[in-house]
Amino acid sequence: MKAVRLATPLFAVLLVAAVWQLAVSVFKVPAYVLPSPSQTWSALGDDWTNIRSLAAQTLYESAIGFLVGAGIGFALAVAMAHVKIAHRVLYPILIATQAVPIVAIAAPLVIILGYGLAPKLVIVGLIVFFPVVVNVLDGLSGIDAGMVNLARSMGAGPVKIFLLIRLPATLSPLFSALKLGAAYAVTGAVIGEWTASITPGLGKDLLLKNSRLDTAGVYADVLLLTAIGIGGFLLMTILERVATPWRTRSTARRWFRR
Amino acid sequence: MTDTKLTIDGVEVRFGEALALAETGLEVKNGEFITFVGPSGCGKTTLMNVVAGLQRPTSGRVLMDGQDISGRPGHVGYMFQKDLLVPWRTVTGNIVLGAALTGRATNADRADARELARRYGLGDFVDHYPHALSGGMRQRVALMRTLAFHKDVLLLDEPFGALDAQTRLEMQQWLLQVWADSGRTVLFITHDVDEAVFLADRVVVMSPRPGRIQAIHDVGLPRPRTVDTLLTPDFMELKSQVLAGLYHHMEG
Repeated sequence: MKAVRLATPLFAVLLVAAVWQLAVSVFKVPAYVLPSPSQTWSALGDDWTNIRSLAAQTLYESAIGFLVGAGIGFALAVAMAHVKIAHRVLYPILIATQAVPIVAIAAPLVIILGYGLAPKLVIVGLIVFFPVVVNVLDGLSGIDAGMVNLARSMGAGPVKIFLLIRLPATLSPLFSALKLGAAYAVTGAVIGEWTASITPGLGKDLLLKNSRLDTAGVYADVLLLTAIGIGGFLLMTILERVATPWRTRSTARRWFRR
Repeated sequence: MTDTKLTIDGVEVRFGEALALAETGLEVKNGEFITFVGPSGCGKTTLMNVVAGLQRPTSGRVLMDGQDISGRPGHVGYMFQKDLLVPWRTVTGNIVLGAALTGRATNADRADARELARRYGLGDFVDHYPHALSGGMRQRVALMRTLAFHKDVLLLDEPFGALDAQTRLEMQQWLLQVWADSGRTVLFITHDVDEAVFLADRVVVMSPRPGRIQAIHDVGLPRPRTVDTLLTPDFMELKSQVLAGLYHHMEG
């Protein structure tokens, strides 16, 4: 059963590739318009050593930006949940940050932060932190007041209540946000590279290949970017299963039993 | 030294202008089982919150073993209608919650918790998460958590209110067994007159606007009590007395 469950999505991907391949051959689409999967695959293989280091750079930007964004988002949510005034002041600002088109602020960011890693981290962070804030806030405010009352009746202090009751309640919503964030982070890194980069990554490479009408090369880059996004999503899914076992299991894992 | 465990001494609670609980006094003997019945708004939960130290009385005080515990939580075991089990803790983890929240849950605490679970029929579920348990089982775990907090006085606020009738009767008998085993003092809130009479040494009838004690009935029914107790004339007589008090108030 498990094999079937794992094989299904793989089959779906192969199906898409097959239809794509078939369409390109049947309608004789030129490669500069739409390369076939096999052309994309060989473009990826031919340029592999180059693309690999570009991918590493983009992965690095996405990952660090993701961590920074998630960390700031989590801290903000905790602060906003506990300090009413912080909530009232910050919430409209948070909404505003999401209403501003990222592409529009990418250029001004370069003026402030230069061509290095910093503007990319800001862009990725801006994309990732929002779902984290919103979800963790929901998690913190959704806690049964009775649970907190119970802890208080036992004479527990605010720190213990936070660590044992409030904090674990944020894990499920946090991971929902992290899964979204992991998928979006790559987009942020690409936008960051488009506006400003001295260190080449896949986003920059994409523009270059596009200008040369190396469409197969562009698709190869896109394929890899997609893989990074999916990889991040899967990693978060695995971490989620480990961190919140009560959502999927009826008993604690043996090695966690005490 | 008398055997008074708990003294509610002239306790009054106001929320702003509203008088939630008029001046109330009650002495509870060590090991006594007292039930509180009354319609919503009669101040029974407010009274429990005062005893638990969650609500500071506007005037009056609560004494336990002669010590003033007004407004100071952590001296009684408090159990609510909702089981309030922590979803990410196993049965064992939930039973030791009190120790974890007020210090550290030791291996000895965990061993005790498992022993408690075993003694009361949940031995096979010590590593289960709450979502995998039935309503009755969850409520048992909640009571074990209250017991494992090692307090002499237990406040139970409609603990079986959410259960179906049959499970409820089972739980009531189980509670009486646990109570007889542990020798704790119990204050038990309920809406259900049958439940109030079946469990109690004394039934306290409360009435609203403002919340106050209306009458106290001694329940002399022999223990241990079983389902048959529910059919005895003495039980019926007591039940009708309590009901009459409640009903009289509602008419007036």
